[in-house]
Amino acid sequence: MTTEFLVPLRVREVEPLSPLLKSFVFEAADGGPVHPAGAGAHLRLLLQNRHQRWKNAYSIVSNPHDRSHLSIIVRKVAQSRGGSAFMHTEVRTGDVLASNPPANLFPIAKTARRHVMVSGGIGVTPFLSYIRAFQSSGAPWELHHFCREDEGALFERLLAPYGGGRIHVHAGQDLSILDASLRSQALGSHLYTCGPGPMMDAVLEKAAGAGWPKGKLHSESFGGEAMGGAPFTAVLMRSGIEVEVGPETTLLDALEAAGVDAPCLCRGGACGQCETAVIEGVPEHRDHYLNEAERASNTSIMTCVSRSKTQRILLDL
Amino acid sequence: MTLSFKPQETFRDDFSYRNSDEAILRFPFPFVEDSYMYSVNIEPHVKGGPTPAFHAAFDVDEHYVAECQERAIVLAQDPSRCKVLPHMIEAEWDTLELIMESLAADYPEHFSLTRSGTAWTWENRPLGIRDSFTFGDATTLPYGPFEYITRQAQGDFTLQDQRDDNLFVDGGMITCQADWSLEFNIGMSFHEWHGPVPLAHEKGVFDRALKYLLRLQNGQPVRRLNWTMTVNPRMDTSPENYPLWGADRTTVTPENVGRKLHLRVELQTLFRLPRSNAILFGIRCYLCNLEDIARVPKWGKRLHRVLRDLDPALEDYKGLTRYRQTAVAYLSRFDDGADLSLGIQPDVDRL
Amino acid sequence: MLISGIHSRPKYAGLRVDRSGTHHIILSDTPRDIARMVEGLEPAPGPTEVWTVVGACTVTAAEERGPDGSVVRRAFRSRPLMFDMLGHRLARESMGLRLYAIGEEAFLWDVAALARSFGVDGDEIQLDHAGSERRRVFCVHCRAMTENVRTNIVACVGCGAHLTVRDHFSKRLAAFMGVQADAEVRGDLPPVEEIFR
Repeated sequence: MTTEFLVPLRVREVEPLSPLLKSFVFEAADGGPVHPAGAGAHLRLLLQNRHQRWKNAYSIVSNPHDRSHLSIIVRKVAQSRGGSAFMHTEVRTGDVLASNPPANLFPIAKTARRHVMVSGGIGVTPFLSYIRAFQSSGAPWELHHFCREDEGALFERLLAPYGGGRIHVHAGQDLSILDASLRSQALGSHLYTCGPGPMMDAVLEKAAGAGWPKGKLHSESFGGEAMGGAPFTAVLMRSGIEVEVGPETTLLDALEAAGVDAPCLCRGGACGQCETAVIEGVPEHRDHYLNEAERASNTSIMTCVSRSKTQRILLDL
Repeated sequence: MTLSFKPQETFRDDFSYRNSDEAILRFPFPFVEDSYMYSVNIEPHVKGGPTPAFHAAFDVDEHYVAECQERAIVLAQDPSRCKVLPHMIEAEWDTLELIMESLAADYPEHFSLTRSGTAWTWENRPLGIRDSFTFGDATTLPYGPFEYITRQAQGDFTLQDQRDDNLFVDGGMITCQADWSLEFNIGMSFHEWHGPVPLAHEKGVFDRALKYLLRLQNGQPVRRLNWTMTVNPRMDTSPENYPLWGADRTTVTPENVGRKLHLRVELQTLFRLPRSNAILFGIRCYLCNLEDIARVPKWGKRLHRVLRDLDPALEDYKGLTRYRQTAVAYLSRFDDGADLSLGIQPDVDRL
Repeated sequence: MLISGIHSRPKYAGLRVDRSGTHHIILSDTPRDIARMVEGLEPAPGPTEVWTVVGACTVTAAEERGPDGSVVRRAFRSRPLMFDMLGHRLARESMGLRLYAIGEEAFLWDVAALARSFGVDGDEIQLDHAGSERRRVFCVHCRAMTENVRTNIVACVGCGAHLTVRDHFSKRLAAFMGVQADAEVRGDLPPVEEIFR
């Protein structure tokens, strides 16, 4: 399952939505239909210039039923790893990019009787494809979107085509506006949240406080915002080499840069593919995959997001 | 190789089902070594490998037309052998899309799919079907999308919903099963529907398999082989109809065992479906009688050793108790004790 | 045909009030000492109701409050009346509800199926077996349900087949599987024993 296969996508259209947001529309480079993608799925684009490679994941915002194209929206982030800046400045109509086929770590709960979405900032993107799916299935839904006050008009405009009445843009407001709504949602509702980590944590905590069980709460992490940390050295037992992991890079990226063929898939701490045995040292777990007992045992690490608490960590690689 | 279908074959009454020499050589013999026990024997479902049965996403062989006819007979008597829970409608369309695309790509001489947006035309030449329909609109098909396409495919299929870190069997087309009931099992979680399987739970097989399958990625299907034995080439060994076929198990004699007793192999494939995030589980059934198995010297010897040394709990679970010794005695005449190569390949290219 | 050691057989571990819920309904198929059988009812976890089937046609399902007023009790003439009321109630309930059921197995899973149809599942519902172990048996051959089965072999009420009662359990059907015991050799039946008391 680790064999990586890439599909070529041609940029059909690039449209600036604001100084920081750009929409990209891709079509299959061979002219056929694009890979089908479900609501909540993401594309992982392989970006490269002469000096650097990035693999960045972006939620697909296009209608899951339409295979003529795939669309994403990219925010230029101040603390960018570089990939988003590359997308904003280098990628033009007609370019061909390589991508993993769409994968989905944030799917819709099909047994839900009602869907409540809470997004922050650019975290609204997966919900654009959710809404298209709900519109075609007829499932009841509502969206609460939070953003900075000065971006309210932008998101109002972006969300306008998706159906009035069910979308609430809370520009410059705090989450307490959700309280009454969380207490009155019908039985069988599911809640989904996507946005900055602290916001998602707060939303989940509010919902839990209103009696929502864990099984009906879903969140997606952008991955990467908690990427950096203290530098450390990964010692690879089988290959007999040492890899320095800098403060701004991930263990997995450092391994790959050192030419190590390390397993990986989602690069977001969710899929479990990159699980690697730890022989010595204490991991700082940042993944969503290992359970509490597995974390506590400190016998394995997810290289894509986790780091080391100890200055050196000995890995079975 | 051009396929020559055998539409007159039957899997009931006079049991006229037979394998050609080509079909015997491409049989997915399930035993890698001389003994058998449960394991997480899952590998990527990539084209190629030791049997031509692995060469297509959905294998089509000389029994295709006859098996589709057999399925229609079962459904005419019991339409609930195909059942899908309502929340799986997206997975139904995913299945239709995947099977149509795969068959058209792997067997262009037999199947074609023409698309213009959501206006699709499907042509199945072996079954004489040509239908135009609107993708996503079930009212434009004669059956639900899952039933429509699985009536035109060999083997059983189930649909698994993924939720709460588990898989739930929330739909299926089950007409050629090895003794399990969709009506009873539908809605069950992964461990519940494997509940009756002996030994494997204790070995942690299902825990690890589930963890693996929860991570299954779109475009990277996986497969495994499973097996049992069946008296007569009967596809419908359902618990529903056990009163009709149960007595077959008492009819095996030293004289008829070679032709009457069949090794039943399931080529199980698992596909992550793109829109629904569900998993399609294909259970493609192959039958080959002992006489034909033994025409491949390696297989005859290996099957003898596997059956001779089989764990009693598996003998009971697979329903072999009444005839295992008869089968072992029959196969022993083909086994000279020679060392056999690892792997399932026949090691001969003609019979 | 294996009949025991099957992992689809539900396990029950007692009822404990889930304080992450905001309100609670406890259902019992017969009068029981709920305060003793449900752990954590004191202090009151928030609005809580205890619904009981008493099997008498003189009761009504009107609310009765205990002396401290914290727990609401309702008595039902029969299971159908309780399920009917539960359906009406769940249709207008909001998130935060926790359901608990205690009783015979068929009752528990009938509650679970009704709850699931309103989206209540997983951590939102707890079940605990109490009372008789008699079983509801689903005939895999004719789909009829034979109720209150106490023996290892039972004649199906639908098709008359002598069924072996397996440990294989379907939560959706709230029933154990019955398979013809003598399908291979007609009349070859094990002795009938009472095993589900």
